[in-house]
Amino acid sequence: MRRLWGAPLAALGALVLVSLFLSLVPGDPVEILLGEESTSVDREAMRRAIGLDRPWYGQLWLFAQGFATGELRTSIPPFQRRVLPEILSALPNTLLLTISSLLIALAIALPAGVLAATRRGSLWDRLAMGLAVGGAAVPRFWLGPVLIILFAIKLDLLPVSGTGSARHLVLPAITLGTALAAFLSRLTRASMLDALGEEYVLVARAKGLSERQVVWRHAFPNALLPIVTVVGLEFGALLGGAIVTEKVFAWPGMGTLLLGAIEKRDYNMVRATVLVFTLCYVGVNLLTDGVYAWADPRVRRR
Amino acid sequence: MALTLGCSAEVRAPSPDRGITVLIESPIDSLDSRFALSAAGQRVSQLITPGLITFDATAEPIPDLAESFQWVDERTVTFKLRENLRFHDGSSLTSRDVEETYSGLLDPRLGSPRGAKLEAVLSVRALDPKTVQITLKRPFSPALADLSIGIVPARLAHLPAAREQELHPQGAGPFRFVRREAPESVVLEPHPGYHRGAPRISRVVIRTVRDETTRLLELLKGRADLVVNALAPANVKVVEDAPGLSLQRVPGTGFSYLGFNLRAGPTADVRVRRALCAALDVPQLARFKFRELAQPATGMLPRGTWAYAETPGCRRDLALAGRLLDEAGFPDPDGPGGRPRLTLSYKTSTDRVRRSMAVVLQKQAAEAGIALEIRALEFGTFFNDVRHGNFEVMSLKWVTVMEPDLLRGVFHSSQVPTEENHWGGWNRGGYRNPSLDGILEEASRVDRPRRRVLYAEAQRILDRELPYLPLWHEQSVCVVSRRLADYRCSTHGFLTPLAQARQVDR
Repeated sequence: MRRLWGAPLAALGALVLVSLFLSLVPGDPVEILLGEESTSVDREAMRRAIGLDRPWYGQLWLFAQGFATGELRTSIPPFQRRVLPEILSALPNTLLLTISSLLIALAIALPAGVLAATRRGSLWDRLAMGLAVGGAAVPRFWLGPVLIILFAIKLDLLPVSGTGSARHLVLPAITLGTALAAFLSRLTRASMLDALGEEYVLVARAKGLSERQVVWRHAFPNALLPIVTVVGLEFGALLGGAIVTEKVFAWPGMGTLLLGAIEKRDYNMVRATVLVFTLCYVGVNLLTDGVYAWADPRVRRR
Repeated sequence: MALTLGCSAEVRAPSPDRGITVLIESPIDSLDSRFALSAAGQRVSQLITPGLITFDATAEPIPDLAESFQWVDERTVTFKLRENLRFHDGSSLTSRDVEETYSGLLDPRLGSPRGAKLEAVLSVRALDPKTVQITLKRPFSPALADLSIGIVPARLAHLPAAREQELHPQGAGPFRFVRREAPESVVLEPHPGYHRGAPRISRVVIRTVRDETTRLLELLKGRADLVVNALAPANVKVVEDAPGLSLQRVPGTGFSYLGFNLRAGPTADVRVRRALCAALDVPQLARFKFRELAQPATGMLPRGTWAYAETPGCRRDLALAGRLLDEAGFPDPDGPGGRPRLTLSYKTSTDRVRRSMAVVLQKQAAEAGIALEIRALEFGTFFNDVRHGNFEVMSLKWVTVMEPDLLRGVFHSSQVPTEENHWGGWNRGGYRNPSLDGILEEASRVDRPRRRVLYAEAQRILDRELPYLPLWHEQSVCVVSRRLADYRCSTHGFLTPLAQARQVDR
């Protein structure tokens, strides 16, 4: 229960920090809105219309009111569109992207990590861990275009960018998931090695269980706990990575929305997207706790 | 699987109803030409909602919805509308729509940022269904250039109905708005009632793709057909070598320059400015850094525009630079090489291209004993410093230099940014020259032939005094796929040539 209370606090903290940073960002948003070549429009009126005449905490209060009632509008006159529908149309795209990439990462990392741990020191181990080091080192803005060149241009199997079908999802999800897959497979290996060294594994082996049962029924569930923790924590990194990935693949999600808002100095939209990012992160961490309880009977009993 | 085969060029051409896909680098801010401030917004709204006039390749205003126009006296101009002008909903466009569009724009309640530019317009009146008369408050010939704003149906001219134009834009342009797709793309279809006949394209999809590399890859894949002025110089070669793509370059309107602070410090001395002018080698920079996507400039107005006059411009001459610096009181402390004669701070934005260009200029200037100290600042900060006169040398660009009256905005002494005008003037170097003021004022009042003479004189003065050090004019670059025939790249980066182009596999 205490954790549930932490969630809104974390969101509030993020919001205050973002608002503070926005007020520290140099450059005049009105200048950027009106463009370099305008002189005659009434800047002060515009400033008031956007609420920029207030201090940052005043702007934050206005924002909080708007966000809570769902009536928040973008801060770009004259067409101050409501923020909520735009977020609701972008959020599913980002969740689709991050969750698919998470699944891809798990689908690669768990078998690879277990394989590497059970055949420690073998060629398989070295191959899997070599790839993991490589995968963690590759930046997404490079991996994305390379995958496009390979699969969309040379092999002509998949579209370059955009949305519209499941095939559009493949490359962005792989691009986003690779780094996490690399990280998780190293973790899975380490965690499995720990578990395999425990006494209960010795006991299981002594009982005469098959190697397969020892690994998957006894060692693996115990190795899973640290992995679950890290997946929860890394989800934040995934959301951050989604911004770059969405840019490369012209994927209309929260990252695209945030980038557009920053370009336009649309402060309300920037705050709203950051808040939603934070809420997602907090939500996933709560979910992680739930998964914990499922994976570890000891937590459930407490 | 069927889709997969459809995409592969060897098997068969892409499905024919795809239309033409245009990629833009940043999203459309508004489809209402009265409110569009971004380049993307202006270019797309122009396809839907054209205005009375447009511009030819020499930046001369030419009739668009108007068939002709004529100055009655120095304050009055009449427009004769074309026959058979039809809005996309089928209704006719008459002089009443023009009158109402302008009366809406002039109404401050509408809040159009482009309406503010019509400050010199006194009234717009429909004389008969095909004739409109525009009267100015004072003789102001550049006003013509601001009459390119889109004409909307009379019912959409005023609030609250005017808001509808943003959601379902109407106009008499070659393409009609169909729908928005995803948040950042727009679908257009040809307008059968267009006065020059419906465009020969089944439809136009305008998609935002922010990533430079992704735009290029979409073109190479054959899923995009047109990209205008959004190609990095480094990718020119790739496009030239690609079999399905062609690259068109025409002189463009973007102007890059070095601005000097003329209020105080070493750059207030014309000899120092001239010395820097003789120290730099702009053609070299344009050739190797910009792969000829930039044309070295002699002044602000692009070659080929109607008011352009040939001036000597800058030519590299290190001996001359040395003499000028000696005269200005900056002798060489320890012979060639060694310590610099003087140090100037050079402010620029953190943009990658701008920074790498600054490094080349720094190296060139060092050979003449001028040390440029580069300070790359985030654009907001940089621009704020520029507006407040807080710089010695800065590099910036004007995105579109078309109407020569821009010179008055940039160099007239009344345009120096101050507290009173909220730091809004464009004369950011604080240049003051009464005789140039007089010439530019007169040029904004008189007729075309007189203006040309006056602007020629102004360009000679600016070349001598060098408040700006002209660097180059950008080329307009269009990448066109072979599915789009007869597309003629526009000097101004407009998308209007789509109206005359042809979709090959239609």
